[in-house]
Amino acid sequence: MPTVRLRDASEYPEPARKLFELSKAWFNHDFKHPPAMSRVMAWDPEFGGPHGRAMKRAMAPGEWSRGEKEMVAAVVSGVNACAY
Amino acid sequence: MEGDHLWYEAAHVVGITNALNVAADGLAALPAVTALLPPVAEGRAGDPAGAIFAEIRAFYARGDVPPVFRLLARDPFYAADVWAATRRAFGDNRLARRFKEALAFAVSLTSRSEWGTGFHLAEMKRLGVGDGGVMEVIGVTQMFSSYTKIADTLQLEPDMGDIAPVDDSPAPGGSPR
Repeated sequence: MPTVRLRDASEYPEPARKLFELSKAWFNHDFKHPPAMSRVMAWDPEFGGPHGRAMKRAMAPGEWSRGEKEMVAAVVSGVNACAY
Repeated sequence: MEGDHLWYEAAHVVGITNALNVAADGLAALPAVTALLPPVAEGRAGDPAGAIFAEIRAFYARGDVPPVFRLLARDPFYAADVWAATRRAFGDNRLARRFKEALAFAVSLTSRSEWGTGFHLAEMKRLGVGDGGVMEVIGVTQMFSSYTKIADTLQLEPDMGDIAPVDDSPAPGGSPR
């Protein structure tokens, strides 16, 4: 169980809710609620904003495809023993 | 990219990379260890490890054999099997070798393997990955080293436990279900 209360999307201000929609399009998911990490990162926009931009830049297609980068992300998460 | 075979290949790269890094950083790089367990010298006449060493030099297009393989070659039969698994894991298959080196670099960087990080970075560059491609792997590795720790600190539960489709295809050589 998370150590914090994950807020419902409706509890966030409008700019954060817009980011949830952009994130949904970026990840192409159809979850009922924004992913837990999205809600965590939106808690402090001054941290989540630049962190999210760095992530998007890192994950954008370049010399490696988006799919290849997702696989790199998966193995890094595995090495870090992170189930999330 | 789709299909389980890609993930099996990636998992094999992760596993054997970690295995080599453990022995490279934990044994072959330590003078106190190599004083007691000297790596097998290259070119020793009649050494049964000679054939393995020749394959390693050819596979990596280099003139020497990394110390980790020479240390493992103290038992040439064991070293032969570790090398065979390594060669299989890193060879071009559904995943390209240059991408497998990128995975190995990310694994080594994440696990702070000094030998693995340098070795696989050099292999990426040798196989044609540019500076931009290297920085992309560093970026993904760093960002997901951040997300994973935030998720663990807050004990977040996966959002996507149910999205993987059922795959009834058999394992290689197995019977259909």
